[in-house]
Amino acid sequence: MQLKRSSIGAALGALTANLLAATAAHAQTADTSVYQPDVNNDASDSDASGGGTDIGSGLARIDSAILFYQENGGRVRAVEPTSNVTLNASDGRVVSFRFTADTLTGATPNGAMPWNQNQTFTTPAHAPGTTTTVTSASGKAQLVTIPGTGTVVRQYTVPANQLPLDAFKDQRYAYDLGYSAPFGDGGRYSIGGSYSTEHDYTSYSVNGGVSQDFNHHNTTLSLALNYEADQSSPIFGTPSPLTQMSGDTKGPSRSKTVVNVVLGLTQAISRHWLTELNYSYGETSGYQTDPYRVISLVDGTTGAPVEYLYESRPSSRTRQSVFWDNRLALLSTFADISLRSYSDSWGIKSLTAEISDRIPLFGHFYIQPGVRYYHQTAADFYRHYLVSGNALPTYASSDGRLSNFNAQTNSLQLGLDFGHSEIYMRFENYSQHGQTHPAGAPGALAGENLSDAVSANSVMIGFSFAFR
Amino acid sequence: MKASRMALRCAVGIAVAASTSLGGCASVGPRPWEHDLLAKRDMQLNANPNLTAFDEHIYFSKEGSSGGRTFDGGGCGCN
Repeated sequence: MQLKRSSIGAALGALTANLLAATAAHAQTADTSVYQPDVNNDASDSDASGGGTDIGSGLARIDSAILFYQENGGRVRAVEPTSNVTLNASDGRVVSFRFTADTLTGATPNGAMPWNQNQTFTTPAHAPGTTTTVTSASGKAQLVTIPGTGTVVRQYTVPANQLPLDAFKDQRYAYDLGYSAPFGDGGRYSIGGSYSTEHDYTSYSVNGGVSQDFNHHNTTLSLALNYEADQSSPIFGTPSPLTQMSGDTKGPSRSKTVVNVVLGLTQAISRHWLTELNYSYGETSGYQTDPYRVISLVDGTTGAPVEYLYESRPSSRTRQSVFWDNRLALLSTFADISLRSYSDSWGIKSLTAEISDRIPLFGHFYIQPGVRYYHQTAADFYRHYLVSGNALPTYASSDGRLSNFNAQTNSLQLGLDFGHSEIYMRFENYSQHGQTHPAGAPGALAGENLSDAVSANSVMIGFSFAFR
Repeated sequence: MKASRMALRCAVGIAVAASTSLGGCASVGPRPWEHDLLAKRDMQLNANPNLTAFDEHIYFSKEGSSGGRTFDGGGCGCN
């Protein structure tokens, strides 16, 4: 369902992050290897103060962690172990490999609005071309034979006044490989690839980038390009947009491609301040509709659901963002402050602000509190519901991720930093605040909470170990 | 809007830090022998790739925006 497919993007992002980080960090690494005798370190900046291991060349590093993620209200639950191995050769070459496995269970909104009576939803019972019965992970769905037709469908019923959810489970495996190497005087190139597979989604990507250091390695310009090809193979087939939800067999698999360019400037402002400014431009072409999601078609007077239609989204999307990140070494702490401004051709505009500070307390122990604020506007075609009798729009989706909402994350990380190794645990609370009672809702729909905003708690546990 | 206020506060904080850090410097950027702190892992822009990946996963799955720190993501028609 939603989380499992979107997690592919996260894996791709992780690979990119590694590549860009390796690129941006190189200037410092190279300088360190030449200019950084210990005599230039004052005592307060030593590893024992919580400053972390120097990122000198010749080190291999293993980073392993596991995420436990649970949404409130019995929604999505995820367990995600991941492991990353990075090899830093003494000549500046870097090879990294990441493996991630996702196990997802629970329930996710199907897109329909709550109503003051029970609502029953119907899906196909078999994957296209097979006789294998597909049932709900929760066991709450039933197989029903449609009278007079003999057709077997899957049905589940949502109690009155509850946000309609559909249960699911899935397993995902993702593999990322990256390589970067120096060239010329202060130059570096990187290449990489990624593969991710689930039972209903497959993604491939390749990427490459170049960077160049200037100004005694204080300035780095970088350019990175990513190409991704995805195949969506919904378990019930791909429905036609804005057709009625049913148990009928759906259409074949669909695909899409994503091209993304990131132009970056990294600048060491001072001994205590490293800043980065990224401009990102991306184009997505192909199938971007959620094949499992519907939108309620309601009576314009009573608000009662008349039908459930499969949603519809445009086949092209252009994204742009400007991201500004800062690392500050102030007193004995390390702060990260970032801002992002984002807009896309679907009409979504967002602003993100995030700050965290790593504070050494005693010995090797540190704490790192953090907070993140997020606000986005709605996509042009976002609708809580459609009204029966009105002309259908070309595009419509009730996906809360395309709605107008605010979100806040509060986090606290605890860790032991031994220099070349570290163990850590982070607690996070993520909470969205959307529009619960939009103006103009007809009839009894005005009394329902129409927001599918998410609240979730996460625990992340990991360790990092470097060796020669 | 909370995000805007936060952004303003961050900008002010950074400006203050910049003026402090740059005071007395003839040019932007530390001298080569002053790169000791910048070489620390905690001073890297993606100091913990695993935690970054987890957070990107959560935000990509639950929000309409993506990218900035990294590529836009993709691999999903859901946002």
